[in-house]
Amino acid sequence: MANQAGTRMAAQERLSQVTDHLKASEADIPTGREALLEKHPDDIVVTCALRTPITKGGKGSFKDTPAADLLHGAFVNLVSRSGIDPALVEDIAVGSVLPPGGGATEFRAAALAAGFPVTTAVKSLNRQCSSGLQACVDVANMIRVGMIEVGIGAGVESMSSQYGPGAVTEFSPLLESVPESANCKVPMGVLSEKMAKSKNIPRTKQDAFAASSFQKAEAAQKAGLFDEEIAPLTVKWTDPKTDEEKTITVSKDDGVRQAMTAESLAKIRPAFAKDGSIHAGNASQISDGAAAVLLMKRSTALRLSQPILGKLVTASVVGVPPLLMGVGPAAAIPPCLKRAGISVADVDIWEINEAFASQCLYCVEELGIPIEKVNPKGGAIAFGHPLGCTGARQVSTLLYELRRRKERVGVTSMCVGTGMGMAAVWVAE
Amino acid sequence: MLEFRTQGFNGYSVKYSPFFDSRIAVAASANFGLRNGMRSSQTTSPRLHPINLFFRFDTQDSLYDLAWSEAHESQVLCASGDGSIKLFDLSLSDFPIASWQEHAREVFSVHWNLLTKTTFLSSSWDGTIKIWDPSSSSSLTTLPTHSCTYSASFSPHNPSVLSAVSSDSHLRVFDLRTPASASNHLTLSIPIHTPPKPRMGVPAPVGIPPAEALTHDWNKYRDSVLAVGGVDRAIRTFDLRSPGAGPVAVLPGHEYAVRRLAWSPHLSDVLLSASYDMTCRVWTDGSAVGVKGGGEEVADPMAFGGGREMGRMGRHTEFVTGVDWCLFGAEGWCASCGWDERVLVWDVRAVMGG
Repeated sequence: MANQAGTRMAAQERLSQVTDHLKASEADIPTGREALLEKHPDDIVVTCALRTPITKGGKGSFKDTPAADLLHGAFVNLVSRSGIDPALVEDIAVGSVLPPGGGATEFRAAALAAGFPVTTAVKSLNRQCSSGLQACVDVANMIRVGMIEVGIGAGVESMSSQYGPGAVTEFSPLLESVPESANCKVPMGVLSEKMAKSKNIPRTKQDAFAASSFQKAEAAQKAGLFDEEIAPLTVKWTDPKTDEEKTITVSKDDGVRQAMTAESLAKIRPAFAKDGSIHAGNASQISDGAAAVLLMKRSTALRLSQPILGKLVTASVVGVPPLLMGVGPAAAIPPCLKRAGISVADVDIWEINEAFASQCLYCVEELGIPIEKVNPKGGAIAFGHPLGCTGARQVSTLLYELRRRKERVGVTSMCVGTGMGMAAVWVAE
Repeated sequence: MLEFRTQGFNGYSVKYSPFFDSRIAVAASANFGLRNGMRSSQTTSPRLHPINLFFRFDTQDSLYDLAWSEAHESQVLCASGDGSIKLFDLSLSDFPIASWQEHAREVFSVHWNLLTKTTFLSSSWDGTIKIWDPSSSSSLTTLPTHSCTYSASFSPHNPSVLSAVSSDSHLRVFDLRTPASASNHLTLSIPIHTPPKPRMGVPAPVGIPPAEALTHDWNKYRDSVLAVGGVDRAIRTFDLRSPGAGPVAVLPGHEYAVRRLAWSPHLSDVLLSASYDMTCRVWTDGSAVGVKGGGEEVADPMAFGGGREMGRMGRHTEFVTGVDWCLFGAEGWCASCGWDERVLVWDVRAVMGG
């Protein structure tokens, strides 16, 4: 059996070699979207992607569940859904923003508890809100250069237990003395408020965008469109009214408020300035959640008979001024599309993280993206933004929706605190 | 034109014996060399009418190239898809008399040293060239190219010099007389896709993207001249005396990748090519006195150096993968093989000037 698979592989590689010889004229070499849709043995493919439900920070269903337990839940489900032999997974990268020490110790422990052998390496990384995507990209790059064959990119955040002023250390006088570096600690709400003003994005537009995010998420939830990507978790939960500890099974995002409209959002008081436009209803929610993505080369997936969800084409990360943190996607998406050889019109679905309605709207308008292609199942405004988890969460949200609509090309992107943007191009199969 | 059918086997390489004008060997593979199965190396005797199968060997994996031994008239070396190199003897049994297994991937070319006659080389998809002594069970030297090397060959003028072309669009020349060092005897590495130097009155050539090089051959008379062909369809000649000058001649014309090149053993400017476009073409590289061509014709903007196509043979009905000149007798006889399961023996003069 193994020998037969090897034979098939060799034959496939020889065939693709001869095919390459025949691509003699420029006309024969597909470019743009067509080239992107081709399948090659060295593609980095996703064979399983899932997430836990995302729940409200401080009062949601995961308020008493530590980050490592959420991660453990994602791992266990990833292994059981994909059927991958845990011993084949050589490295796991976990993006997480808030845990002390980066979470390195408890994430390694979570992997061991989830049944990975001691030979499976684990690292934690932190590129703020893009940590989950960075984890996937890091693992994909390691696979691409041949350092590992099979890896997991993951992200997790328990904002219930770890969000707060302790997440940033005091700036030294040196950092305070350089204006641009001192800007790195300006709270995001404050700088987004300024940005909304300077980029001229009125509150009405933001509220309309936020309301549509809630409405899309509500509709998607009712239609069961999240069911494929969500892995339900059973956790302990203390009822705040009775202090009674219960065991509950969580299978739905609990932040999606029903029947939201731009009018109902218009009543909420601004959070960061009296005359401001940003409030709790048009910014991302504080949440808990975890997500994981299983990555390998197409050739490996065929050898292991893993089903292929899609592939990671390329990614980019670009810095922007810290005070304009929100423009990150507008800066990161163009080079990413260029590297993939496609244009804005070639993309079927955009998953652009809704840190704030203002910055997401700005990026969408700046790049000329049709708004109906952005976050078709809603975004962080409706169901939350567990910081480190989001980048990995978008992968399953995107790939399952592309598959359902029989569309192919998607982009995930987000702005990153301290002034960065990250983006990645994916192709569903 | 004489024809022999390699029933069930798609040809990959054809070579005339350096000892007998009546012997041709063919390396062929079942299923287009894409999947395992029975493969064969065949020796035919074309002088008799029709061509007779003289000897046949079957192997377990595809064969991509072969070379007659320069030291022993009945020995043939084969490059195998399983990474091995096998030596067959026509006077002995069905089994190879020697087999060398060091390459990690498909072996794409083998070539015997024409001058010392005691060594041969092989090149492989694994990104290495290996030099062997048939009496030794392991290779003498390994030269890395770091990319799939479709073609490697010893210089016919100097026993220590060898060349190779690879999928990275580079022509490499190695000189084994150089001391062992980190350069691994590499003396020249020429980017094949370099456009020719700009000429007076002609706009500077635009950049040409790199393309996989599939074949090359040393000129038999001019010891510094090589011809290279590959995926970008053009044949180029290079002069190793001025490696930075770009190609001496560029010969466009093939509609698909060039799979095999062979300089004439009789004329210093004549070149034969075999291509995926199902034709074999005869070319002059423009170096011979009085053969300047293309003056009045509408020149292809890619063409350079005064060379031109002199004729073509279009009788193959599938990719043509191998072509070789007969060393003996009247100049111009050659053999070609292809995926149409046929070996054709024909006279180049018959297709010229048409």
